[in-house]
Amino acid sequence: MTTATTEATGPTGTDGPTGADGRRAPAGATRRRRAAAVLGRLPGTAAVWLFTGFCLFAFLYMLISSLKSSRDVLEHPWSPPTELHFENWSTAWNDGGFGPAFLNSALLVVAASAVTVVVAGPAAYVLGRRPGRISNGLSLYFVLGLGIPVQVMVLPLYALMNRLGLIDSLFGLFVLYVVTSLPFTVFLLTSFFASLPAELEEAAALDGVSAAMTFWRIMLPLARGGLVTATLLNAMAIWNETLLALMFIQTDDRFTLPLALLNYFQQQQFTGADFGALFAGVSIAILPMIGLYAWLGRRLTEGLTMGAGK
Amino acid sequence: MSATAHSPLERRRGRIFAPFVAPAVALYTALFIGPTLYAVYTSLTDWDGINPPRWAGVRNYTQLLHDPAFASAFGNTLKILFGVGAVLFVLSFGFMLMLREMRGRRLIRGVIFLPHIVSSVVLAIFWGSLLSLDGLVNQALGHLGIGAVEWLRPDRAANAVLLALVWINTGYYVTILMAGVDRIPDSYYEAARLDGANAWQRFRHVTLPLSWDVTAAAAVLWTITSVKIFEFILAFSGNQGALPPTYQWNNAMFVYGETVGGITPLNRFGYASASAVTTLVFVAVVVIVLRRLMRREALQF
Repeated sequence: MTTATTEATGPTGTDGPTGADGRRAPAGATRRRRAAAVLGRLPGTAAVWLFTGFCLFAFLYMLISSLKSSRDVLEHPWSPPTELHFENWSTAWNDGGFGPAFLNSALLVVAASAVTVVVAGPAAYVLGRRPGRISNGLSLYFVLGLGIPVQVMVLPLYALMNRLGLIDSLFGLFVLYVVTSLPFTVFLLTSFFASLPAELEEAAALDGVSAAMTFWRIMLPLARGGLVTATLLNAMAIWNETLLALMFIQTDDRFTLPLALLNYFQQQQFTGADFGALFAGVSIAILPMIGLYAWLGRRLTEGLTMGAGK
Repeated sequence: MSATAHSPLERRRGRIFAPFVAPAVALYTALFIGPTLYAVYTSLTDWDGINPPRWAGVRNYTQLLHDPAFASAFGNTLKILFGVGAVLFVLSFGFMLMLREMRGRRLIRGVIFLPHIVSSVVLAIFWGSLLSLDGLVNQALGHLGIGAVEWLRPDRAANAVLLALVWINTGYYVTILMAGVDRIPDSYYEAARLDGANAWQRFRHVTLPLSWDVTAAAAVLWTITSVKIFEFILAFSGNQGALPPTYQWNNAMFVYGETVGGITPLNRFGYASASAVTTLVFVAVVVIVLRRLMRREALQF
């Protein structure tokens, strides 16, 4: 405050970086205002950092606890591990059922997110690039699905799958994941295809390339960014999905990771068992997602916010 | 325009239209819209999920009106939608404004998004180890010489869930709002600054009007997602395969709890469908009202 005042009214301006006195007064005023602004923002800045620190702490806590003994997790949750218990991970993977669950989840993610894009891609292409009454109507029809909570349709689906013998079947769950991913994927890819330039398509048509070929050879490669984003978002949603898995899967060896976690967590409360292994299981569930996020995070947040930005 | 309508391109596209949309439309109709409509029908029956449904008229709905478990579940759904939603939006908007001019904003944006990319079951496990009797918070308080607090006592557990939901969702909504605000050209702020606008005036006359669409879209998104919240409540409050106590239920949990959930499933499919349809109608009404309230002329920039 005082330095700013003396600077602003200082009589000699010879050694200052800005020569004339007339130009220094507003500079001092700006600095003062900026200092006041920084001070005024201090509580907000602190709150943001506190929140960020808490998020970071939560994830570090879970990862670090996976290397601690069960007793240390319980009795000294704040302390770093006294010795590294890597065997927690093998306990979780083998005895805790997280190994098979990891493979089940991976299988479902790969199959369902791939098939979703294969089914939704062509539909989104024609809906996005052929505006008309039918195609606008169909786009709206898919958007409708974004607003319907899964718990509305889950009971009839349960009865249907029961009749088809697809309860407690990974194939049945795969079908449900494709279906529930469709509305968002069609929605996202439609706006993506609509944003592509028309020239290449027209040139291909004039050259006599068939429409299906134009889609396959020209438009699909152009839309790669959108396809990757859609696949990624679906993969993440399926990896973390719990409600459908919970309702449709019953046997341990068909559990997905969220189910294995839920099961292990609830068993623990009963048997008072191994917290180190529990957090190893948690880490097995979250590390692939953190890795994916670190690798493709920008694309992910862009895709997630794309729908809302429209 | 009429020339292009008959161009070879248009004709070719016309030929592939049906085969390209058919698989998606068929799957979506058969296993998404169909079951939804069937749920509306069975909400008017006494369906148990196995035997053919028998017509019951609006009996399920009148019964819902008098069911204290549903009243409590609906109340919790409202608390999540409006209570958590209000805190969430104020916090997200504040964070977004702070982050615009903060050092380390890329790091912060990356970190606060983390809760959104992992399963709610994981977050429930963390939240439990934070607030349990010998958990992180109480141990820290113990070091300060303060006795343990029963955070998960029945009258506090519900608020613990609401607080967790704020934590889980803030990063996501900050990201959405920021994506909208980042599209505002810097020149607008420069112009406002040259006109002598202070921070509040810049917020009021530049940031707010130009991010209104994104905020409205985010509000609709929250309405739709908030009624689906389920896993966190189940993992946080249930144990040993048992359901959480009914005072922790929301509408999504009600559907699960009245049908296949718990140790002895109730299989009241028709009744649960009525509650799900009520939720759906409620969401539709809130979305329509929100869109009406937040609608104004689109600003192009």
